[in-house]
Amino acid sequence: MKILVCIKQVPDMESKFKVAAEGTWYDNQDLAWRMNEYDEYAVEQAVRLKEQVGDADLTVLSIGSDKVKETMKKALAMGCDRGAHIADDAAWNKEPFQVAGIIAEYARDKGFDVIFTGMQSQDRGSGQVGVLVAEMLELPSVSTIVDFGYEAGTIIAKRELEGGIKAKVKVQAPAVVTCQLGLNTPRYPTLPNIMKAKKKELLSIPVAELLKVNARMETANMFFPEKKGGGLVLEGEAGELADRLISILKDKTTVLK
Amino acid sequence: MEFTREIYWNVGHGATTLVPMYLLVIVAIAVVVKMFLQRREVYRQGLPLNRTDNLGERISGMLVNVLLQKKVTRVKMPGLFHGLFFWGFFLLLIGTTLIVLQADFTDLLFGYKFLKGTFYKLFSIILDFAGLISLVMLGALFIRRYFFRPEGLETKKDDAIMHGLMTFILLTGFVIEGTRMAVTELGTPVASWSPVGHLLAQSIAWMGEDTLRTLHKLTWWFHLLMVMGFIALIPFTKFRHILTTSANYLFADRGPKGQLRSLDLEDESSETFGATQVKELTWKDIFDADACTLCKRCQDRCPAWATDKPLSPMKVVNQIGEAAFTNSEANLIDLIGKDVLWSCTTCRACQEICPASIEHVSKIVDLRRSMVLMEGEFPGDEVMTAMEATEVNGNPLGIGYASRGDWAAELGIKTLAEDPEIDILYFVGCYGSFDKRNIAIAKSFVKLCQAAGVKVGILGKEEKCCGEPMRKMGNEYLYQSLAMENVELINGYGVKKIVTTCPHCYNTLQKDYRDLALAAEVETYTVYLEQLISSGKLKIRSEGLDCTYHDSCYLGRHNDVYDAPRALITAAGGTIREMKKSRSEGFCCSAGGGRIMAEEKIGERINIRRVNMAVDTGAGVLVSNCPFCLTMFEDGVKGAGVEDKLKPKDIAELLAERL
Repeated sequence: MKILVCIKQVPDMESKFKVAAEGTWYDNQDLAWRMNEYDEYAVEQAVRLKEQVGDADLTVLSIGSDKVKETMKKALAMGCDRGAHIADDAAWNKEPFQVAGIIAEYARDKGFDVIFTGMQSQDRGSGQVGVLVAEMLELPSVSTIVDFGYEAGTIIAKRELEGGIKAKVKVQAPAVVTCQLGLNTPRYPTLPNIMKAKKKELLSIPVAELLKVNARMETANMFFPEKKGGGLVLEGEAGELADRLISILKDKTTVLK
Repeated sequence: MEFTREIYWNVGHGATTLVPMYLLVIVAIAVVVKMFLQRREVYRQGLPLNRTDNLGERISGMLVNVLLQKKVTRVKMPGLFHGLFFWGFFLLLIGTTLIVLQADFTDLLFGYKFLKGTFYKLFSIILDFAGLISLVMLGALFIRRYFFRPEGLETKKDDAIMHGLMTFILLTGFVIEGTRMAVTELGTPVASWSPVGHLLAQSIAWMGEDTLRTLHKLTWWFHLLMVMGFIALIPFTKFRHILTTSANYLFADRGPKGQLRSLDLEDESSETFGATQVKELTWKDIFDADACTLCKRCQDRCPAWATDKPLSPMKVVNQIGEAAFTNSEANLIDLIGKDVLWSCTTCRACQEICPASIEHVSKIVDLRRSMVLMEGEFPGDEVMTAMEATEVNGNPLGIGYASRGDWAAELGIKTLAEDPEIDILYFVGCYGSFDKRNIAIAKSFVKLCQAAGVKVGILGKEEKCCGEPMRKMGNEYLYQSLAMENVELINGYGVKKIVTTCPHCYNTLQKDYRDLALAAEVETYTVYLEQLISSGKLKIRSEGLDCTYHDSCYLGRHNDVYDAPRALITAAGGTIREMKKSRSEGFCCSAGGGRIMAEEKIGERINIRRVNMAVDTGAGVLVSNCPFCLTMFEDGVKGAGVEDKLKPKDIAELLAERL
């Protein structure tokens, strides 16, 4: 069995973000980088599937500069067998159709039985890449899965729908699934696996070899939401707080009028 | 009249006495040697560890602890009983040795006798009282164990054998003396130099010489048999501690206190990290179990045990020993239990009080290392999240690393990247940098330094967690990566002196970072500020304050800093109402051992227990010296519902208010 899991390196969401000078993306300065949260669920599920079937080869793929290899090493330490690094210093500027195009081009002749992706990235958040990959490879896809089972070539997954409702879906592999929060708790890599990961295959492929599609979308402008009021936290003694609250309600609202 | 007595009176000094007697001695000693050689094979299952370096100091340390019973007598009543019993018995041993020396060597070979005259008088009266004191103390220990048994004092067959045998040996000793004196000394001035024997002799003199002689002879042989039995039983019973506990003083950890063994993570040939089996611990970890006397002093002081958590340090030590002797392949983590191992706060109360120099904490950390490094396991998901947050942002709180220095924005201090010319580097730590309540400590400390004209620098966003909570939780890998980055950075700036306001940072930089070649001198803010005040550089207004003071485990037991913080409080005009458990007996706040990252799910909350101890003093302010403690106490006063009665405060805040 061959499994592919696609991951993205994203800034930690606790970071202080600034819009970069060109105004279409964030500035990289002072950011801490980590694996996209949803991709962690994807890696964990891919590793669990490999452990379940035993005889499987699990590739982790990531697009970006050399820096993303750090994040790929975590996936290798979690249990992926090999890494495919698509070297692209301008990956931040690729739109979802291009990203999917690169992945599909890489995966096309490799015969993957199951492809895992996160349901979206924490930074761009388009939620398109996984399903686009499936379309390009003419594979079925199941998005936002919160439960995953595999038996004799059949994937049985639960999808999250609106309002907490879940749908149970069956699909024949090969297929693409995109992973949602709640699917699993990603493991903490053990030290022997971290050490083994350092020796695993991690090949870099220039993005030019795989980028065969044109962009269909362009980011025109990036900006912080306009400040419209916002929250107010009152602190102090209870009596004084009540007085202040009443005066705010009187001044700024109509509820007391 | 000559003050002396005939040795081997009535039993004879010929071959019929000496041959069987010395044969018994040889047999008894042979049993001891053989059994300990067997036990040594069990100890040797453990990893090597050099505990015979600095032999001179080790030996003097052992002698002090054995002969003066220094550690044993730290717990007053039972300690004194044991001490007096030991001293009595030890004198009897010396007395017997002198007798053997004279009768079978100096007198036999050279015709020289020294047990006579004034020396004999002293010899006689000292041994007489030594016997009496031993017997009375044994009785006191017996009553304590069997009639007023303190909670948790395990009592087994061993204890009955030991009490019985010791009592019989002492009683028969007196019978031998009494019968001999009844026949030979009654009415002579010699008798008054053995008052107990004299009393006994007077009361049995009616039996007549023949009966007394028979009784004497029989008792003499019976006494000898029991003494030899006692020696032979040493390896089989808790009598073992006579040798093993003494030896453990010799093999004791010579510090720095609480420094953990660094794992070699670069070693490509290592396949396992930490310990799951006996063979992955050191030989000393197995030996410790043999040195344990089950006195339960550790258990009595364990904050986890006191709040109904499953951890008893005594039990952990003995489970490891039992596994080593009965089933060395056993998985220690399953045997001891994960909840037990995660409950430890590494507060060191167990190790500090242990009268046998046993090392409890490093065993627990070694077992935790295996759980974390080999299985990726933690006490809860919240701990794993904190570990991952630290990997990404260099702090367990998960706040963006770039804002680490933001707290100092209005204080006019620079980072070393901006200006490396400084008097001291203030290593702020994660809580001082990010936690709203603890930022007040960091600000106060900087203001105090500025008032004293000290130029302070910080590392700002370049500083990372010191790695202490991670290391104590068992994550040696994460600790070492953080530590290496910090050490490289600090050494790179050529820092001469570092001051910390967090005792966990202090302990780590001061001790653990030495393995990674940190060059700078490291000091805790309490000692540093105390020097600034006493040298007149820092002037503090004295303003009355009724408070109690909590010794953090890492400033107190781990580093023996007890007086400087108290001096600071006094200098600020504070009067300290000590809590019941203070100084080396201080009770943990619950946050050590990496537990700051974990939820406390089992038993009563430790911090609430401690806060209530503070409330009991009647003082309105609980002064502490540690960001973890302060965090726990702020939480604890809410949990205990005493927010209006008790305000937790750090020493730095107290002082800064009085600038």
